[in-house]
Amino acid sequence: MKLHLHVGVIETVDEATLNEALAVAGCTGRVLAKLKPNLAVLEREDAEKVIGALEANGLHPKVMR
Amino acid sequence: MNTAASPMQRFLAAELDLLGVLEVVIARSPKVLKNGLPNLAFFRAGNAALAQPDNELDGVGFGQVEFWLSLCRALELVAAVDSKLEVTPAADDFFALSSGERMEALRRAWIHSRDLNEFALSPDIELPALRKGRTVDVTWDVPSPERLVDGRRELINVIESLPGEMPLPRLLHALEREHTNLFINHDNDGSWRQVYYRGIRERGGREDVEREGNWELVEGAIVRLMCTLPLSRLGWIDFDDSTLAITPLADAPAEDPAFEVVVQPNFEIVALGDRPDPAVLWRLARFTTPQPDGRVRKYLLERKPFADALGRGASAVGLTDFVAGLSRSPIPQNVRFSLNDWAALSERIKIWPDALLVEAEGVEELAKALPATLLSTLSPTSLTGGHYVCTAPDASTLRGVMPPRRNALDYSRRLPPVIAPTDGTDLVAPREELHLRARQLLALVSVNRGTDRYELDSALVKQSAVTLGPEELLRRIREGMSRPLSAPLLLALRAWSGEFAPPYAGGAEVLLAENHEQAALLEELPELSRWVERRLAPGVYLLRPNGSGEIRRILEKLGIALRPSSASRRIAAPEARNDAGER
Repeated sequence: MKLHLHVGVIETVDEATLNEALAVAGCTGRVLAKLKPNLAVLEREDAEKVIGALEANGLHPKVMR
Repeated sequence: MNTAASPMQRFLAAELDLLGVLEVVIARSPKVLKNGLPNLAFFRAGNAALAQPDNELDGVGFGQVEFWLSLCRALELVAAVDSKLEVTPAADDFFALSSGERMEALRRAWIHSRDLNEFALSPDIELPALRKGRTVDVTWDVPSPERLVDGRRELINVIESLPGEMPLPRLLHALEREHTNLFINHDNDGSWRQVYYRGIRERGGREDVEREGNWELVEGAIVRLMCTLPLSRLGWIDFDDSTLAITPLADAPAEDPAFEVVVQPNFEIVALGDRPDPAVLWRLARFTTPQPDGRVRKYLLERKPFADALGRGASAVGLTDFVAGLSRSPIPQNVRFSLNDWAALSERIKIWPDALLVEAEGVEELAKALPATLLSTLSPTSLTGGHYVCTAPDASTLRGVMPPRRNALDYSRRLPPVIAPTDGTDLVAPREELHLRARQLLALVSVNRGTDRYELDSALVKQSAVTLGPEELLRRIREGMSRPLSAPLLLALRAWSGEFAPPYAGGAEVLLAENHEQAALLEELPELSRWVERRLAPGVYLLRPNGSGEIRRILEKLGIALRPSSASRRIAAPEARNDAGER
C-alpha cells in the first residue's frame, strides 16, 4: 500500500464522465495517475479547478472537504 | 420586556441573532479585508438580520454584529478561507451541543475574549486613535485585553451577587465607589500623568475626557454596553433599556421551542413560530441558502448547498426526512423529485480536493491490511479498485494512525526525484519509492520494461512535447531525475521533443574565404550572395545546390581561380616559404 497525502481525487460513475469533467476544467493532461478508468488523482489545485469548472457549468459534484 | 424570562429563554432569543450573523456568512461568504474583518456589506447584511438592528446612521456602527462575530471567531465557528469568511465544522459541533452548553460556551468565549474591545463598541465614547482593525499601538488608557478579561469577571461577580432588581445608575454609583479600578486604574488620579482618560473622548468631543467626575461617562458607558449586550443576551440579567432596570435572571426551565416550517413549491422554506429552535434552524441553513435579511426566516433549497451538505456526509434521504419532519404538510412533489435528482446527479462525480489516498497495490486487501485505528479514526471511503480515500487529516492525527513502517508521501511539498537515468535510454525507478508525480512523468515519456525499469520512447516524448511544449517537458524530466542527464540522453530527448532540428551529415558545397577581409569583400558581390544558403561561421558559407560551379564562373570573370583543395593556404605555407627561400 502507498499513502498519498494532500492529493485531489475524483471518482465518477463511469470513464466518460471522468473524461468530460477533466476536459471541462482543461485538466486532462494534468492527471497524476488514473488508478482506474473512472478514478483519477490530481494535484490539489487541479482538483479545485475541476470543482470550479463543473460548478460554473451548472454541475454540482459531491465535494468532500 | 419579559421580566419573567429565564436565562435560557433570554439566551435562545438572543441566539437567533448569532444564527442570523452566521446565516449571512453562509449566504454571502464575505470577503475578508486586510485588517482581518469582513467587508462593510457583510456588516450591513448582518445588522439587517438582527431582531433589533443598530442604526447605522447614528455613526455608532454595527456593535451587535461585531459582538457576535467576535464570539464566533473566539469559538472558531467562522474562519477566513481563501480571503473569504466561511463557517467551519466547529459551528456544526457547536449547534450539536445542548442549548445550556452553547450558552456556557458563549459566556466563556465572551469573558476570555481578547479580540473584543467593548471600549470600541460603546456608542457613548469614541477612541480617536482607533481607525481600522480595532487595535492601535499608542499610549492610551484603554485597558489591555487581559485587564478587560479581569474587569468582565469582576463585573459578573457583582451582577451575580445583586439581591434583586436595581437601576443601572445605582449600580454604576456602587461600582464607582467600590470597584473604581474595574477597567482603568484610578489610584494615581490627579497626578500630572493621570488628568485625562488618554485617547478616550465623549462621542463627538474634541478633547480627551477628564478623569475627575467622569467615571460614569467612561466606565459607566462600558458597563451599560455590557448590560445591553453580553450580560443580557447571554442570560445573566434582564436589562430594560428604557427604564434602565437590571434584574438578575433566576434559573427556570426554558419553554420548549415552538415553530414549524412551510416548504413551498418554489423551493422556499419559511420558518414560522414564536420560539424557533436555533439548532434546528442551523441544520436547515447548512443545506440551503439562508435569506436572513427579512423579518421572516426563509431558506432557499438550491442544488449547490444541497450537494455541499452531501459532501459533508449528510444523506439525501436524511435531509429530505428532516425537512418533512419540520413541515406540517407534505413536501411538494416537485421539490421532493428535485432533491432526489440533485442527490443522484451529485453522486455521479465525487471529488476529494484535499485527500489522503491509500493506494492498494496489486491484489492487496486494504480492509485487512490497514490498522483498525486508521479505519475507525479517519473512516475512509472505499473507491473503485480497492483504494481508500478520506479528507486529509492533520499531521498529528495521521501520525497516530499510520500503519507501521509506512510513510505518507506529502504532495504539499516537493517530493524527492526517484527516477535514475542510465547511460542509454533506460530509466530505473524503484517501485516502492515511486510517487504519483514520478509516475506521471514516466507515463509521459517512457514505456514500462520491467518491475523497476522503463525505456524512453521517442514517440511518447514527441507527443508529450506537443502537449506541454518542449521546454516544459524537459524541465519536468530534469526535475524528476535523481542525477543529471547524460549528454547523449539530453541530445536524444531534445531532438525527439522537436527542440533540435535533426542534424545533417553528408556532402555539401561550401565556400571558404581565407580571412575576414576576403570574406567581407566576397559578401559585397551581389551575384555571389545569391548562391549562398547560410553563413556557417566567419568566412565559411553553405552554398545552394550547384553553387560552387556558379561561383567559380563568377570569380573567373574577375580572373580569380578557385583553389583546388579545401585545405587552407596556411597549411601549405611552410613549403611555400621554403620554395621562396631557395629562390
